[in-house]
Amino acid sequence: MAEPELQPFWERHDDPVTVAVSDVHVRYRVASTDRSRKATSRPARIANRLLGREPVEIVRALAGISLVARAGESVGLVGLNGSGKSTLLRIIAGLETPMRGEVLASSTPVLLGVNAALLPELSGAQNVHLGCLAMGMSPAEARAALPEIVALADIGRAIHLPMKTYSSGMGARLRFAIAVAADPHILLIDEALATGDAAFRERSEQKMDELRSHAGTVFLVSHAAKTVEEECTRALWLHKGRLVLDGPAFEVAQKYRWWAWNLAKGETDKAAGLLEDAFRSGHDTQVHFPDPLPVKGPPRHARRT
Amino acid sequence: MTVLASEHGRGVVHEVIQPGRLKSVTRRPPLGEYVAQLSARRHFVLADARGRVISGTRGTYLGTLWLILQPLLDGAVYYVIFGLLLGVSRGIDNFVGYLLIGVFLFHYTSRSLNRGAQSLIGGRNLIKAFAFPRAALPLATVAREAIALLPVIGVLLVLVLALPPTEAVTWRWLLLPLVLVLQSGFNLGLALIAARATARIPDLQHVIGFGIRFWLYGSAVFFSYDQFVDHPTLLRVLELNPMFVVLDMARDLLLYATLPDIGSWAVLLGWTVIVLGGGFVFFWRGEESYGGA
Repeated sequence: MAEPELQPFWERHDDPVTVAVSDVHVRYRVASTDRSRKATSRPARIANRLLGREPVEIVRALAGISLVARAGESVGLVGLNGSGKSTLLRIIAGLETPMRGEVLASSTPVLLGVNAALLPELSGAQNVHLGCLAMGMSPAEARAALPEIVALADIGRAIHLPMKTYSSGMGARLRFAIAVAADPHILLIDEALATGDAAFRERSEQKMDELRSHAGTVFLVSHAAKTVEEECTRALWLHKGRLVLDGPAFEVAQKYRWWAWNLAKGETDKAAGLLEDAFRSGHDTQVHFPDPLPVKGPPRHARRT
Repeated sequence: MTVLASEHGRGVVHEVIQPGRLKSVTRRPPLGEYVAQLSARRHFVLADARGRVISGTRGTYLGTLWLILQPLLDGAVYYVIFGLLLGVSRGIDNFVGYLLIGVFLFHYTSRSLNRGAQSLIGGRNLIKAFAFPRAALPLATVAREAIALLPVIGVLLVLVLALPPTEAVTWRWLLLPLVLVLQSGFNLGLALIAARATARIPDLQHVIGFGIRFWLYGSAVFFSYDQFVDHPTLLRVLELNPMFVVLDMARDLLLYATLPDIGSWAVLLGWTVIVLGGGFVFFWRGEESYGGA
């Protein structure tokens, strides 16, 4: 096999790598109410019926994703519902373990998700404190961070009420504020910006720019390709767990939007053609990790006779 | 840019990662580093435990008073049934004290095991939001139970002094914390084992309850072994039960003003070391599996 050579593909290839994802595969076993599938044997189906279990289906969420992100990049992920965007973020955050593949990161990535309600019984302020401690701050640091978080979230008196009483927008704002409080170098955002009003959007965009300027990397998942186009320097288009395109945000988002628009209009044939064209024009990434095993003696290719 | 063709007819970009700077986020850290990470999150564990002590009784009129009332009522139920109706109190010095120590301390272990088993399932929100060593969750659960135990121990000491036959305070009471520390380590080990097991097989949540009930009746909580077991070898085996040892030692210290013999200390220490050490390693080895769904 030929020696792999470093391919400068991105204009920022000199910047240090912050996240490297190599050939990640994820499968879920999920309960399914689809009884028409004959994949299971008849006795198994009867047992399932008797025990009130739902038949299990294997869903392939990610099928071999590789990518490398660098400091100062903000990477948008676009794709339909169920294309694997959120799964990829959770994998990068280390919150889930892939069936196969490896993720390396230069520091602990912080994921900002939509669903995490933290401890619903506790007040917003208590959740802020707990969240800060969970990210590894000391109690003094957590107390010091509180005013800034409260100011960024800007949810008024509600900060003292139990989090279960929050509207989804309020909860999202508070979680965003908690996540950026740790000043993470790698921030992963899952559709959080969509829930805020205009003023909050502005503040959160500012905060994201600030993070990136500190040599951080931001990943942003959004259904709205427009958000990715405006906010990101680079975009990834995922489809059924595969990477269709990986390139400059504007280009990728434009192609994705044109495809999605055709799909929405019922132009299925045209959409399929567009998807195929996009896939052909894209590229695959192969990530070569340093050999983790300590090598005894000089590496073979360096040996001289 | 030379691009090699892949099997899809797409270009392939090779990225070579320089060694050293990047760390894996998908693999669990080595055991030593895991312990270090866990100890760095000790404030989180304490804050989480404290939050749960309060939120556990929130919404009730009596609030945190239930932390004391619940074990007291438990003790009252067993007193009526075993002390008054079944009359197993014969031959036991200070049956009330004997029963209270049994119920209160067994309650601590049974709740640690029960809540520990559910700690990963109940902490799903935190697991999905933050990356921290997952052992923090069962640890916080046991810490919560330990915090809740403190007022209960206070009540226990007052009752032992106040209810007839009253006992006197001796210097041996000072050794009670040592027994409780060993019991806490044992509880943590149980919680860690149960947490990983139930995360893998959720059905175990229902089985653990039965196991605990069996254990309760087999640990001399409200009667003594001597009344029912004549066979000396069987008695010897029963007396290796860690919960029996904990209760027996606490009763010796508080009620009977005797120093537990060295054998009891050795048995309890052995159980704690094996269950805590084994439980911790067992939990750590499953670290990557706790994030899934």
